[in-house]
Amino acid sequence: MLELQQLSRHFGGVKALDQLSFEVRAGDIHGLIGPNGSGKSTTVNLISGVYRPTSGLVKFKGKDLGDLETDRRVHLGISRTFQNIRLFGNLTVWQNIWAARVVRSEGLKGFRERWLSGASRAKEDAELLLSFGGLEDKRDVLASNLAFGEQRRLELIRAAASGSDLLLLDEPAAGMNAEEINDLELRIRELRKLGRTILLIEHHMELVMSVCDRITVLNFGRKIAEGMPGEIQQMPEVKAAYLGSDLPTAA
Amino acid sequence: MDLLDLIDLIQALTDGVLFGTTYALIGIGFTLIFGVMHKINLSYAAASIGAAYLSLVLVNLVPAPIVYLGAALAGGVLGWLIYLICFRFIPLENPLATLMSTVGMLLAIEELISHLTLGMPQNYPALFANSNLEFGSFFLRGDLLFIFFLGCAAMFALTMLLKRTKLGLATRAVAQQATAAQLCGMSVSATNGATFVIAGLLGGIAGSMAGAAIGVLSPLMAMPLTVKGLVVTVIGGLGSIPGAIIAGLMVGGAENLFQFLRGVSERDIYVMLLLFVFLTLKPGGLFAAPGGRD
Amino acid sequence: MDFYLGLAQVIGIHSLLGLSAWCVLHTGQVSLAQGGFFAIGAYLAGMLTSMFQWPLGYALATGAVSACAVAIAIGFPALRIKGLMLVVATTAFAEIIRLFFFNFKWRVAGPEGLVGPDGSLGFGGIRYFPANGWSSFELNALIWSLVAMVMVLLAWLDRSRVGTMWRAIGEDELAAQCAGINLTAAKVSAFGIGGAIAGLAGGIFAHYATHIEHGNFGILLATFAIAYPILGGLASLWGTIIAVIFVQGFLLEGLRFLGEWRSLLFGVLIIVVMIIRPSGLLKASLGMRGRLNKAAREPEYRRDQAKSGTTDEVHHA
Repeated sequence: MLELQQLSRHFGGVKALDQLSFEVRAGDIHGLIGPNGSGKSTTVNLISGVYRPTSGLVKFKGKDLGDLETDRRVHLGISRTFQNIRLFGNLTVWQNIWAARVVRSEGLKGFRERWLSGASRAKEDAELLLSFGGLEDKRDVLASNLAFGEQRRLELIRAAASGSDLLLLDEPAAGMNAEEINDLELRIRELRKLGRTILLIEHHMELVMSVCDRITVLNFGRKIAEGMPGEIQQMPEVKAAYLGSDLPTAA
Repeated sequence: MDLLDLIDLIQALTDGVLFGTTYALIGIGFTLIFGVMHKINLSYAAASIGAAYLSLVLVNLVPAPIVYLGAALAGGVLGWLIYLICFRFIPLENPLATLMSTVGMLLAIEELISHLTLGMPQNYPALFANSNLEFGSFFLRGDLLFIFFLGCAAMFALTMLLKRTKLGLATRAVAQQATAAQLCGMSVSATNGATFVIAGLLGGIAGSMAGAAIGVLSPLMAMPLTVKGLVVTVIGGLGSIPGAIIAGLMVGGAENLFQFLRGVSERDIYVMLLLFVFLTLKPGGLFAAPGGRD
Repeated sequence: MDFYLGLAQVIGIHSLLGLSAWCVLHTGQVSLAQGGFFAIGAYLAGMLTSMFQWPLGYALATGAVSACAVAIAIGFPALRIKGLMLVVATTAFAEIIRLFFFNFKWRVAGPEGLVGPDGSLGFGGIRYFPANGWSSFELNALIWSLVAMVMVLLAWLDRSRVGTMWRAIGEDELAAQCAGINLTAAKVSAFGIGGAIAGLAGGIFAHYATHIEHGNFGILLATFAIAYPILGGLASLWGTIIAVIFVQGFLLEGLRFLGEWRSLLFGVLIIVVMIIRPSGLLKASLGMRGRLNKAAREPEYRRDQAKSGTTDEVHHA
């Protein structure tokens, strides 16, 4: 579904990403890990269109994304969450989801949906997502007033609301406690069951090893390893990259 | 165009650039406050004129240089007052609120000046008004030269302050990371207040310079000075002091040049268009330095 | 009585001006250009009725549409400029418009001599209303029906996807883009609609005042324009109207006895309001977004916050 070919991104003299290539297969939960500064967020920004590559390609469903604007990419089917939460603070939980959902009904297809089947279809979807995130009783609360864990959940379901086939999750577990991470894992699996493909950028090794089908490891902007969780844990390069810290085995 | 016209043109340009130091100082003031608090104090130019008005009290008592000093000090005090009234008590997440409060302050200052002086322009002392350096039909106006050097001295003093003193360091720290600066023991509110005072000192000098160059002070000067100052700040790059200096001189020169070529009533149109040219070519300003300033 | 009718007219015109700024402010763009669009609408509509004998409706509509077109033209380059730079750029734009009209002369032969804009002398003789025997009351009816129309339009937009998108962009542009919102379309449309409303207001103003000149359209007017929605609170349309009534009605007219000190008081008042209620007079909207619910539920989620250990930190300068 997603293919990065020799993707590079330089910031002045710094090579944030250097000839990175990997593939995410449809229906997979693909992990992207690496020490801080290895280029994970840059990768997400390149895929979602916040940055443009210095060289190389991002191909989505076989098409080169090129210079496409971020919002166009969303309509093609790529959405993302943010490492430091970027919710619409002064909008309610419902409005946050609605904003992302309602954008889908654009153009001719949207016209049909809005006027013929009415707004009810969109409302249904949004309600479903609301309960999926466990936030039904918070629908009228301003996003900035939510607890941290709830905000993370809202970020997740807002990204899902765009109806995209590919979800880029940028460190969704950061700052979460063990219970919240378990919840997160369940939701990620649920999303996959509903047909989404997920690219998960994370530091939390237990989550990554537990939920991912394949993992790509970055260091200094380059890919240093790729494979299934079990393989990755054994690789010496990966251990070295994390400066000798032992990777816990999957639960 | 024959030689005489060319000389007139260069004369206009030079006069403008020399006067542009005033704009540069105003621009620096705007940019200082923006750099540290990420807010614009729209009343800044008006306060600068106000400071010059306050220094009028000294006019017949002391020689002119002390009057200018008085204006600078008045500017510093006004700056601190504006900080207290417009910024200190308004939560930072509300940029619109502080913007509006400074607008309110701008109106208040302008009106106050108008009322207290009954709208009559007041004469302001100039130095070296009648001594010029002459080169044939081209002359460097003495008063403008003085203003130019005074402005340069102020900018030099500012640079020393920012680079060599603890206060300067605190200002730059808070500009870049307010929370971290606080955790290092710097008081953000004190630093912000100090920045306003410094900007106010500069503004007072600028106000007195404007008065000296034109010969009179009038409340009508506040708005154009505000607009031109903002134009300078934007062209120079929000937060960049070198940018404000260069942009100030440039705007001063351009303004006079346009006046020479097209007359007073059309002059400002071209100055604004100059701004748009810059915004198109270099949207971040000459030295687009968000947070950084050196 | 006539005095109050006149006051109502001014309040109506300024309401339209405030509503035009409300539009643009919603997408997070602080624009001081509304005065410029106001001027375009004023001069154009005035010229069409007084110099070319157009009917009022067409003149007003043309003024509004032209202002809209200029606004859209400005809206595109404005996309590249953010925050405070936009404030300066729009101020400069409004100044250009004002200076243009300061220099603009075009007079044609009219029933009582030359009529038309005359540069710094202004533009007089816009006598459509007196010439056609409009009473003060009828003028009010016209103005307020236009205000009502605009409010209905904006309320409808606000409730629709457009409104949600505008607010989302105003909150966080990057997040909005990543949710699929087309920034260009939304921001430019807000600019254009705001420009149209301002142009309409200007057209009415020209006919109400019968004589306009460049000084009417300075920075002060632009400041009023954004002051209304900010003072009234962006959350609701009614806040803007109330702010206009408060400012024009109580402040500027009601304190008439203070004579020349009114404007000074206005300045002071703005400062005071901003300190006391930075989010505007009307934080709880009159039925617009259910914010009253927030106040009612406050105790509930404060408890939740205490449980999960997060606190609300507001950083004061």
